[in-house]
Amino acid sequence: MMNIPATPAIGITAASVSRGGRPVLRDATLVLRPGEVVSLLGANGAGKSTLMSVLAGELHVPPRSDSGLPFLNGKPLGALKAGEQARLRAILPQRSGLAFDLEVSEVVAMGAYPFPELAAGQVQALISQALARADVAGLAHRRYLELSGGEQQRVHFARVVLQLLAGQAGDNESRYLLLDEPTASLDPLHQQGLLQAVYTLARDNHVGVLAILHDVNLAARWSDRIALLAEGTVFACGTPAQVLTPANLEKVYGMALHVMDHPGHTGIPLVVFG
Amino acid sequence: MFAGSRKLPPRPVLLALTACLLLAMLAASASGAVHIPWRDLPRLLWGTLAPGDELLHNVLLDIRLPRVVFSAITGAALALTGAAIQALFRNPLAEPGLVGISSGAALGAVAAIVLASGGFFLIAGSAFSGSLLATFLAYSIGRRYTGVAGILLAGIAINTVCASGIGLFTYMANDSQLRDLTFWSLGSLAGADWRTLAWTGPWTMALLAYLCSQWRVLNALLLGEREAAHLGFELAAVRRRLIVVIALVIGPLVAVTGGIGFIGLVVPHLMRMLLGAHHRVLLPASILGGALILTLADWLARLLVSPAELPIGLVTSLIGGPFFFWLLLRGKASGQNL
Amino acid sequence: MRRLLAVLAVLVWSGAAWAAPERVVSLGGSVTEIVYALGQGDRLVADDESSLYPEDAQKLPRVGYYRTVPLEGIVSMKPDLVLASENAGPPKTLDRLAQLGVQVQRVSDGPSLDSLYQRIEQIAGTLHAEAEGKTLANQVRDELAAAQARQAPARRAVVLVNRTGSFMGAGGHTAADAVLRLAGMENALASQNGYTPVSTEGLATLAPDLIIITSTSLQASGGLDAFKARPDVSVTPAAREGRIAVINDLLILGLGPRVAQAVSQIKDVAR
Repeated sequence: MMNIPATPAIGITAASVSRGGRPVLRDATLVLRPGEVVSLLGANGAGKSTLMSVLAGELHVPPRSDSGLPFLNGKPLGALKAGEQARLRAILPQRSGLAFDLEVSEVVAMGAYPFPELAAGQVQALISQALARADVAGLAHRRYLELSGGEQQRVHFARVVLQLLAGQAGDNESRYLLLDEPTASLDPLHQQGLLQAVYTLARDNHVGVLAILHDVNLAARWSDRIALLAEGTVFACGTPAQVLTPANLEKVYGMALHVMDHPGHTGIPLVVFG
Repeated sequence: MFAGSRKLPPRPVLLALTACLLLAMLAASASGAVHIPWRDLPRLLWGTLAPGDELLHNVLLDIRLPRVVFSAITGAALALTGAAIQALFRNPLAEPGLVGISSGAALGAVAAIVLASGGFFLIAGSAFSGSLLATFLAYSIGRRYTGVAGILLAGIAINTVCASGIGLFTYMANDSQLRDLTFWSLGSLAGADWRTLAWTGPWTMALLAYLCSQWRVLNALLLGEREAAHLGFELAAVRRRLIVVIALVIGPLVAVTGGIGFIGLVVPHLMRMLLGAHHRVLLPASILGGALILTLADWLARLLVSPAELPIGLVTSLIGGPFFFWLLLRGKASGQNL
Repeated sequence: MRRLLAVLAVLVWSGAAWAAPERVVSLGGSVTEIVYALGQGDRLVADDESSLYPEDAQKLPRVGYYRTVPLEGIVSMKPDLVLASENAGPPKTLDRLAQLGVQVQRVSDGPSLDSLYQRIEQIAGTLHAEAEGKTLANQVRDELAAAQARQAPARRAVVLVNRTGSFMGAGGHTAADAVLRLAGMENALASQNGYTPVSTEGLATLAPDLIIITSTSLQASGGLDAFKARPDVSVTPAAREGRIAVINDLLILGLGPRVAQAVSQIKDVAR
């Protein structure tokens, strides 16, 4: 068993994971600390979703001498039950399959399920907070199925926000948020809005955030660190300025690109493809 | 109609359903092939009996009352398991009959009758095993395919295999077994006497109460299995528990009644349309709605061709069949993902 | 004087105890037929769906199919006797009827001559019509003997029924089989048990010399000419030699008091 950091973190060191006989992750290391936003970038098939699945507790990583095990706040992830994991870590999926007729506030309220000890009044207050953070306060009593795809995505974001806030109401544990392409169905305005809310969660609520993003520039704008994934391994992980070099990006995306200074934000690179 | 628009407030609806159910049970107890005038009811039930009243008293207490109670409990069970199955399969078209769970129970019961000339407990236990197997199969096949395809395929496969099995056993049956089989396969609430109720009633109601307590899990399942796991539910264990409990409810019911269709499909769907899909409200509403509908259906079955009776499965198909068609036809228009 | 009164009282009392049931519900076509044959039809207040003979039986209120009768339906007829074929059900319902104080008499209803005589005796006894019972039994015996005495060659025969679109043939342990044997014929399907499907090839292979088909089955098959023209039928010796008998369903599919008629009809065609 590889070393598990003593300080609160979620991650895995030197992961080697195969799916269907094919190796997907090779010696991949990713450690996420509370309070920081880390983006995971890579081409399709590079292994981003697999890495996230590992941290989400969905993929069972068999103990092998050449592979580390995922950990969460000092314990191996596999040793924590689903309920315990849910109290410390929330996950926003790329797409929701919810096809039943629920009210928005009812969907958001489900974020409190890992915390049955909360009183109804507490949950109601948390719902209001979460709705506000996700900028869907006005939709509280609408039917979920009537909303647009982007609005539905933000409702689910409110749900995971509630899941994180609910835990913090009770203790001081470090918590984490995993986001799988959260901006895919959102327009530019709401993309920025969601990532701003994520950033606030990280800074104000000390949540560690890992986001799979397709848009390099969104990642550059909002991340403390960026992890670049290619051929199953995280070959670079650092600040956007450090990591977003033409050489690195070509390795990830395999195409011509230019890196320049962002005209609007100093110190943040702007990547243009083609 | 109500899909996506404002839903009704739950408390008044539940109260109204309860009131209607009590009225329906009263009306169903008060009428039947034997004519008993309304005003005589109190006297016959708990007053002093006049010389000619013995028979009427027995009809009321030994024939009608257990039957009305049994139809209410059976209707409640069918509707509630329908709602649970729909959450488990994440598909509003799933119900015990369609998915093959009822015919699995039927096959189990028939096997017990023909292979072992079984008594009540053997038949009920065998029916439970059959429904358990069928539920697991339906679930495993169903999740391999996205959308409706999986369940319908599973249902077709299981229903076909069970029908063949039942046919085979019928072929093998001797005369007295055939007698048992014929009665039982037509689907009927006539088996309801106090003794049967004493065994199936509390058992069923306890299991229904357990299912109601699982409203959070069922809600979470609506989001999808992965999301439900991310909310802290141990999926494998939850799935197993739900499947076993559903089979425990359906098995013995089918053993006694022979399988009554459509209630599990129609009632939860109606309740979702009126009240929304939140299980804390949907589950009690399904219980009340199912009890109400089956009590009324059995009442009709007893009255329409008196002194004969229509098979109850016939009445529920006459209600449920057109409803099913209507569901399919409006599916696209409402935008709801079937 | 007092002794005379006492004797009269005893006579009247025992007469009342011996009173025959006046409101009878009969379950089973053959049971109903025998009740009428015993001249006791006016005591019937209800029968079941399978009671089709005589015509009067169809005018009575029906409680349903005799294999699944409704409890309250029967009770509403206020019967003092229920005559139930041994195949009537559900058994639990009949037990509950008895618990409610209704006399339930199950009668033998098997596909054999012995069962027929037993049935007549049981029904006659329960209805206190023993004399009529004996008369009926003798009548059946005599008519049957007469019918059996008629000369007719023994033929390989099949009895065909068409209820679902394809043919079923009567095998062993059926009433039709018993009737065939009473008529001195050989049932080509005797090795099968009960009613079994007969395929087109099967019929040709069996090569029966005599085909018996029930009237409603013939109707369902499109009439006699259409039936004879079927390829599987037309190759049989029966068809080629014109030995196709159309017999009423009730006569051939059950073994009742009119069995002699069935035997005669079969023998007529067998010649």
